[in-house]
Amino acid sequence: MSQRLRKQAVELDKNFRYEISQKIGAKSLLKCIQCGVCSSGCTVTEYVDLQPHRIVASCLLGLKEEVLSSQAIWTCSLCHRCTERCPKNVDYSFILALLRSMAAQEGRIPKEYSSSVITILENGFVIPYSEGMKKNIDKRRARLGLPEISGPNQNEIEFIYEETGLKELIKKTEVGK
Amino acid sequence: MDFAFFLGCTIPLKQPNLEKAFRDVCSILGINLKEMAGASCCPEPVSLQSLNIDTWLTLGARNLAIAEKMGMDVMTICSGCYETLKTVSVLLGEDPGHKAKINDILKKIKYEYRGDINVLHMVELFSQPQWLDKIKQSLVKPLDDFTFAVHYGCHLIRPSKIMRFDHPEKPERIDTILKTLGARTINFATKLECCGYCARLQDEIGEKLVEDKMTELCELEEDVDALIAVCPACVSQYDRKEKLIARRTGKEMNIPVLYLPEIMAVALGVALEDLNLTQRSVKPDKLIEKLTT
Repeated sequence: MSQRLRKQAVELDKNFRYEISQKIGAKSLLKCIQCGVCSSGCTVTEYVDLQPHRIVASCLLGLKEEVLSSQAIWTCSLCHRCTERCPKNVDYSFILALLRSMAAQEGRIPKEYSSSVITILENGFVIPYSEGMKKNIDKRRARLGLPEISGPNQNEIEFIYEETGLKELIKKTEVGK
Repeated sequence: MDFAFFLGCTIPLKQPNLEKAFRDVCSILGINLKEMAGASCCPEPVSLQSLNIDTWLTLGARNLAIAEKMGMDVMTICSGCYETLKTVSVLLGEDPGHKAKINDILKKIKYEYRGDINVLHMVELFSQPQWLDKIKQSLVKPLDDFTFAVHYGCHLIRPSKIMRFDHPEKPERIDTILKTLGARTINFATKLECCGYCARLQDEIGEKLVEDKMTELCELEEDVDALIAVCPACVSQYDRKEKLIARRTGKEMNIPVLYLPEIMAVALGVALEDLNLTQRSVKPDKLIEKLTT
């Protein structure tokens, strides 16, 4: 986003701000006063194409495409300093996670994120825990005198993925690959 | 005191020696840990929350429901697990409508999340006055000659309106625990910087953050015996990246990274050979030597 962006008022998605603010935990978006505290304390501020305060401004303006296609929403390290320091109590890091999920709905998911979601679906844990891997881990635990792990019923995990729509999203994006 | 012990994934499956140290400390102090059969990943706050908030909330509530059935508060030993489970309990507590929606899904697999238990991080427990007293009474090897740098990490303390645990910019609960063990802790400029583990998209972010912190610790006038962290992600991030950076730059940093329960276990009399402290990239040889002389 280094070149200047010009858009007519009619090209803005005026509903975008409410699309975000109606979701759980995200009402605070509308309170931003553009002071920039979030960006000044941001851990990844020098690595992003849009700094936190500019992401919020873009959401409020209705620059949906620009926000959801930015690399900034995925670069964040979730250190939560922005949320902590905001004088207007905007939950920026939480809103950022919502923006990621909106981008994901459109099929834009970096593989660094999709792979762990699939591992959890297949193992119940974010680390592969089946067959040979399981055997090695169990052996190592037994050597340390640690109790056996009784993991979750895989069907329950899969059911929750299905009911909340994540299963379908994974299928959709895998097909799209 | 009994707790539903939430293991998570990284510690039990990748770094079980950290779990062992924690269990040893609990058994010395008389804290009973009950296994949570059927618990899954917390689930992991970075990717799952990012891709679908409802999947994240429902899986988290399912884990909490298991502890509720046991009738015990949940004990976590990883800051990621703590963040997820605590955030789920706070968000659903503040939004009964959304809680009902999550419960509609859970009911179909015979779970119910009511929201009547607490989620704790081990630091929260150990730093309570009665447990600090107990730790003091149980000291076998006071760490009087040791100086530590503390890494709080992000998810333990922020956002404070959810974690409600320690001062978000001036936390002191880990320092207090280490001081109770007899050790000194230092203040340093990068103390509250993130380890960068969750900045998944660009590896260089984590590397830069680790390099900055380790460089500062090396340049301090006093010798730091170890960096102490309370989350398996932070521990492995510093340990592995420190070695990588040393190889790349030729800078010998050699500051070992320990998990808080490991150093607590040492002070409470657990034998060094039972703790496997050498199973990491940066070997704490100097520390071990100092502990044995």
